[in-house]
Amino acid sequence: MNLPSATACKNNQPTTTAPRLSLACLGVCCLLPILAGCGQTPAATFRPNMVESAKQRLQPEQEQQVATILEAMFGTPDNPVVLPETGLDIAKLRLAAGPVHSDIVGRKNGLFREHCSHCHGVTGDGMGPTAAFLNPYPRDYRPGWFKFKSTERADKPTHADLVTILNNGIYGTSMPSFELLGETKVDALVEYVKYLSMRGEAELSLMRYYFELDDEDEGKLPETRDFLIEEILLPVAERWQEAEDAVIEVPEMPEVDLTESIAMGKELFYGNKANCVKCHGVTALGDGQANDYDDWNKVVKQWSAELQSAHETSTSDMTSEERSEHRAWLAKSDRVLAGDALDPRTIQPRNLRQAIYRGGRRPLDLYYRIHAGINGAPMPAAAGTLSPDEIWHIVNYIRSLPYEFDGELGADRSMVARDRL
Amino acid sequence: MGCGQGRLVAPTPDREAAETLRVALSSEDASSDDGAGAAASTGTGWGTLTGRFVFVGTPPAAKQLIVDKDTAVCTAEGRKLFDQSLQVDESTGGLANVVVFARKVSRVKEREIAEEPLVFDQKVCEFLTPVFAARVGQPIDVRNSDPIGHNTNVSGTSFNQLIPAGEGTLFTPSRETGMPTMVTCNIHPWMKAYAVFREDGYVAVSSADGSFTLPDLPAGEEVELQVWHERSTGPNGALGADMPAYDWSSKGRFTVTLEADQTTNIGDIEIPASALGG
Repeated sequence: MNLPSATACKNNQPTTTAPRLSLACLGVCCLLPILAGCGQTPAATFRPNMVESAKQRLQPEQEQQVATILEAMFGTPDNPVVLPETGLDIAKLRLAAGPVHSDIVGRKNGLFREHCSHCHGVTGDGMGPTAAFLNPYPRDYRPGWFKFKSTERADKPTHADLVTILNNGIYGTSMPSFELLGETKVDALVEYVKYLSMRGEAELSLMRYYFELDDEDEGKLPETRDFLIEEILLPVAERWQEAEDAVIEVPEMPEVDLTESIAMGKELFYGNKANCVKCHGVTALGDGQANDYDDWNKVVKQWSAELQSAHETSTSDMTSEERSEHRAWLAKSDRVLAGDALDPRTIQPRNLRQAIYRGGRRPLDLYYRIHAGINGAPMPAAAGTLSPDEIWHIVNYIRSLPYEFDGELGADRSMVARDRL
Repeated sequence: MGCGQGRLVAPTPDREAAETLRVALSSEDASSDDGAGAAASTGTGWGTLTGRFVFVGTPPAAKQLIVDKDTAVCTAEGRKLFDQSLQVDESTGGLANVVVFARKVSRVKEREIAEEPLVFDQKVCEFLTPVFAARVGQPIDVRNSDPIGHNTNVSGTSFNQLIPAGEGTLFTPSRETGMPTMVTCNIHPWMKAYAVFREDGYVAVSSADGSFTLPDLPAGEEVELQVWHERSTGPNGALGADMPAYDWSSKGRFTVTLEADQTTNIGDIEIPASALGG
């Protein structure tokens, strides 16, 4: 390319004969100072899991060891690397990672930072700049729990499950649809979410392992292949690979009259066997159990309670050295709680009269939710307790709830929406 | 929450070390240090370990729990529910619900995994065993003896199941827990228990009088044990004790050498009130 130099630009007056050249000049002249500025911006970094670090009372050199091991295994936000054991595709990750830019063939890179990081954070910790203003909070991928999927409760979502979430968005939350990005980009973003989640889970394992060390390890994790790959990385990576085989088998809906099925579903909903009523409320407005927390918020909630009691613990039995150590840890923990965690919020059971189903509104989606429960949320699994037919009856009842006559909530009379008009 | 304000400066990775480590991790033939973790077996035979946890001082009064659901069953006839995290025997001072498990053993005695399910029951909106232990692979009969429904949520496992009134469900733990994991009922959030699952089955929970017994441990060599209590102020619930003869550490670990076919009693282990938080 024959781009003119900045000096040439200055001396070149725009003329009618060379409008293209002058425009190019203008562009280069304007961009130069910006580019120079960019060079001084520090590269994006992954934020360590400070809550876990404080909980495990890690020393600064231990925090650094974890950061170093993670960089060796996963690279940086601008330059991801993956070990073959993860099963991740580096080409897809490169498309999603890094700052927003176009590569040499004009393909847009940096998709995660363009579309996701303002909510989910560069680290995937669910603490991007907008996170505190959203309800529910954006997902923190690091513990590796995902709610809306076709697999058994504790299993990872399949690749297709995450693609569905990105394509459809999550109705009733701030998560929009990204379907217009097209298949390739959505696929790359899903791969990157898995990457951030694996990294986050590996980080948690590493931080927790310091407690398992023996005295002779002197507070340092072994940096061997045996430990880092076999004990830390593989247990996480394999569970992602197994997800594809863990999809719930859904039998056909039983062939009974829909009105009958709804009636049976209703009986189950209010009965002592399925007990949906306890959390979703007698009105099904989601106003039953309202003072519980989901697992993400519970981590912060419990940690803050522990810290509170540590503040109240008497230090009179401690030596002066222990006391100053204890106080330094408390001071650090308080700052971590203020700067690295969002205020815990209670979880609201779904209002079933709005026809807003976060994990999808197909009967199949509702079947998955009831069969496996919702990972990370209080919603328990019904499989094993209820038969597939019974689960289908509840699905049918739930799907009828938005149309039930609302003057008699929970009463026997039901109406279709048409009758209400 | 101040965004970024007062946020701690995070440690930065050591670039060079990361680069070197990455190369080492990527090479297939990287030397593996076989058996570095497992201690070589030096003894023979099997022995039994026993001891007793004693609470020193006056136990604080148990906090009353806030019961705001299903009060017709949970708090019928003015019944009150109390926090069960500290259970001290009035006459002997025995401290119940301390978990002791083998952390490192060089060999494991072959014993059948019990087929008989271990009963874990809930009644009047309380878990009847606030702390329970099982061997990986042993079925657990999660029961509900209440006329109302519960759900039992064993964190860190796949199990969060509806338990209908008067029924039970089998749960077979498939993985170790490490330190005990919390068990809750989401319908009645005050309900709380702890579960610990171990591959080798070398795990005990101290009974009402504070005593525990661990049979069939390898004898003639050092065995390292881990001790935990729900209210311990130690890291991850690790319970420290002043027992220098057994190298009892602040991480709640101690070592003991047992004699074959003998019961070794390490005696009373005194736990001061300050070790169990406020």
